[in-house]
Amino acid sequence: MSKVGTFLATSSVAVAAVMGASTGSIRDEVNPPIKLVGLEAHDSHAAASILGQFRTSASSWLFLHADLYLHNGVEMRPLTDDEIKRGRKGVGSNPNEQKLHDDAKIVTVVPSARDDFRGIFGDVERTTTSYKDMTGHSHNKPTDSLPLFRLMTLLDPQFVQGWTTGSYIMLWDKSEDGFHKALAFLQEGLKHNPKSIDILTEIAASYLKERNGARDFDSAIPYLRRARTVAAENFEHLSEEEREATLKNYRRLAVSLRELQLLGEERAVVIEGRKFFPEDIPLDRFWRVLNGEIVSDAEINPPSVIKLVPGGTKPASEIESKDAQQDSHQEEAPVRVKVRFI
Amino acid sequence: MNFPAYRALARCVVLESLRRKDLWVVAILGFVILLASSTLGFFGFKGLEIFAKDMAVTVLGMFSTIIAILTSCRLVPDEVKNRTLYPLLARPITRLDLLVGKLIGAVVVTWISFLMLAALTALALTIFHVKFELIMVQYLLAKMLGLVVVCGFSMAFSVYMTPSASATVAFLVAFGAPMVTRGLVLAAAGNPSLTPICKIINTVLPQTSLFDLGGRAVYLGWGLVPVWVMGFLFAYGLCYSGAMLFVSWLKFRRQAV
Amino acid sequence: MSSAIEVKDLYVQYKTKKGEKLDAVKGLTFDVKQGEIVGFLGPNGAGKSSTLKALMGFVEAKSGEATIFGETAGTPDARKRIGYLPEVAMYYPFLTPMETLTMYGELQGMRGKLLRNEIEDLLEVVGIAHAKNKLNRSMSKGMLQRVGIAQSLLGNPELLVLDEVTSGLDPVGRKELRNILKKRQEQGTTLFFSSHELAEVDMLCDRILLIHKGKFVEERDMHELKATLRNFYVTYRGDASMLGLTDAWNENPDGTKTARFEAKDGLVSAITRLQEKGGQILDVVSQEGSLEDYFIDTVEAAA
Repeated sequence: MSKVGTFLATSSVAVAAVMGASTGSIRDEVNPPIKLVGLEAHDSHAAASILGQFRTSASSWLFLHADLYLHNGVEMRPLTDDEIKRGRKGVGSNPNEQKLHDDAKIVTVVPSARDDFRGIFGDVERTTTSYKDMTGHSHNKPTDSLPLFRLMTLLDPQFVQGWTTGSYIMLWDKSEDGFHKALAFLQEGLKHNPKSIDILTEIAASYLKERNGARDFDSAIPYLRRARTVAAENFEHLSEEEREATLKNYRRLAVSLRELQLLGEERAVVIEGRKFFPEDIPLDRFWRVLNGEIVSDAEINPPSVIKLVPGGTKPASEIESKDAQQDSHQEEAPVRVKVRFI
Repeated sequence: MNFPAYRALARCVVLESLRRKDLWVVAILGFVILLASSTLGFFGFKGLEIFAKDMAVTVLGMFSTIIAILTSCRLVPDEVKNRTLYPLLARPITRLDLLVGKLIGAVVVTWISFLMLAALTALALTIFHVKFELIMVQYLLAKMLGLVVVCGFSMAFSVYMTPSASATVAFLVAFGAPMVTRGLVLAAAGNPSLTPICKIINTVLPQTSLFDLGGRAVYLGWGLVPVWVMGFLFAYGLCYSGAMLFVSWLKFRRQAV
Repeated sequence: MSSAIEVKDLYVQYKTKKGEKLDAVKGLTFDVKQGEIVGFLGPNGAGKSSTLKALMGFVEAKSGEATIFGETAGTPDARKRIGYLPEVAMYYPFLTPMETLTMYGELQGMRGKLLRNEIEDLLEVVGIAHAKNKLNRSMSKGMLQRVGIAQSLLGNPELLVLDEVTSGLDPVGRKELRNILKKRQEQGTTLFFSSHELAEVDMLCDRILLIHKGKFVEERDMHELKATLRNFYVTYRGDASMLGLTDAWNENPDGTKTARFEAKDGLVSAITRLQEKGGQILDVVSQEGSLEDYFIDTVEAAA
């Protein structure tokens, strides 16, 4: 026994020593270096960090409550993978409403009587909490939650999602007033986050949204260019979400530049975009059009240009499925491309 | 039932708490909420009525629970630590009488704090022109019953653990029990064979979420809670805290002091 | 006379933090008659406080029997007739003596004006009437001990169980307390107290019980013990052989001799012999013996 014990002890020490010696090589994997993109120097100060933690928590709390506003207090949750596998369906929403999120994959947090084993406890909870059957539910006016976004961005001006989602909700108001409010809101967000790719692309997207039968490429392009510069400088440090926004930015910028016939710059943008996203089909298509490999009068929708839905509340499945359909369609046949904007 | 003893013990807990200025913390918190609400109005935020109500019930729920736990968790251990227990136990009362009196004291202290905070937040809500609705009364009543449950299990934990450990566990139970319940529902739905064990765990867990009518009070269009439900909450609160008293007594009745 | 306290073969056991069992009291048997003042003596760790705690029901006896006025010790019925003063008295810091005593009185089953009047009287008796509305936290240790004494006297209990009774009191306070306790005894109250202060025991007790390492050592009637410990001395000029003594004498520097006798009879016969043999008697002294010496000697013998 003692030999076994000695062997185990020696082995443990050896393994620990090897692990200790190799920490340098695995450190970056286990504990990646903190990215300082968008983090101001003063934010790394201890006091600011603690305060920042509070601000971030408060903003996140408010962000989550915005969802409660939409559902009049009924707490919703996404279906788990297990539930989806078991074929459980979400509650769905009113088909006559503009989609806010993927209602096919959400259910109420308080379970319905059918899904609840708790007997009277469940019945009482369904009576005391703000619970109702949400099948085919409608939403409260998203604009009602706008004060929350104003508050969360006031509390934490670095909370980019607050700025972008808030502007998205402001754009719910189709009037000129809604557009100007959204733009002003984003501009304020940009003041606090001058290197935010999300905000820059959202501003551009606001200009590119069709108003009075036209899109404002001239105003959008400077923001798309700025986003491109920021992204190219920090590409290695970008998060997954930022990379996605960057890809959209390259596509939007390329399409916008083509619309204004700035083909030289479009070429440079497409080359740079393909360097970062070599697999991207739309960028590849733009490249082939620029090189005359395909005819430019085939009609497609400009990829993602009018996709204004920011990360948190976008109808992901809807968008993804449209993209997928579009991609498979483009892979199969038409080689004639015409980028047409009115 | 030794009501005069309960009254004497409870009065002692309340007087001590009032004079120890524990409740000042609540008053200051209320004042901060009031100030913060005014500040929001100053910044020109409009349409924050629901948010203000939401904030009010969240703050009320959270701080009253914290006060309930911190008050109840130190009742018995403090008596032992400060040696004030001896003259008490030298009186012709049972140890159960002592626990009941202390628990009543903790509940009264918690209720006073809760109502103080509620009054201050109600004042703050008037800044947002929030109308007072009957559901708010139901919310307050249900919350007060829920606080009895919190006091009950916090005191029970304190008899079995050190004060800091009992406070930590009480916080976990108070704020984590609803999450565990959700998890149990999911687990039972995923694997029906787990339903019996989920039922047992759920019965043992305090159903603190049942007492939170905040959602109905905050958002518009929700009706009043039926009387039978309020009756159920009352009965459940009484039974659960009674059970917790019994659990405390099981250990405390023979505990050497 | 019937017993106020009866203890038979009492065992008290504690569990240490390590889970080991520790016998604090091992088979103790004694009784205290009604109206007696009995001192409970023993060195630190002898088991005095454990015995008192078992009598009050603060700890459960492992075995044995203890009754208070015939009621099982530790029950509310038994405690109804006891006033108890703990060794280290701490009272709620944010209550006043008035509120503290009101609470204890109500727990004792007292009410209203009767209670208020008794509290006022007791505060007067223990000498803190002037501080009745001050918070306990602002009081000195001695004043708090007086609050403790007052609470133990609430309800005019038939038996007073006092653990280290004079702890924290100054000499004036001790004297006042002795007077209070003596007065209570005159009114028929039984007193059972533990103490380290042998002078207090000496001045108060009718009887003492001595324990060591959880075991009973001996009990003594205080008057009889005092008599036993008393010594008589005679100083004379003459030969040692005049008294026929061998050991119990000293030669003083001036050549005189002093002989010691444990009993009065010995002294009287010594004086007679000295007179017969022409010795010159210079001084005759009767001196009380040391309780401390008795205590140390007895404990050492029991160890």
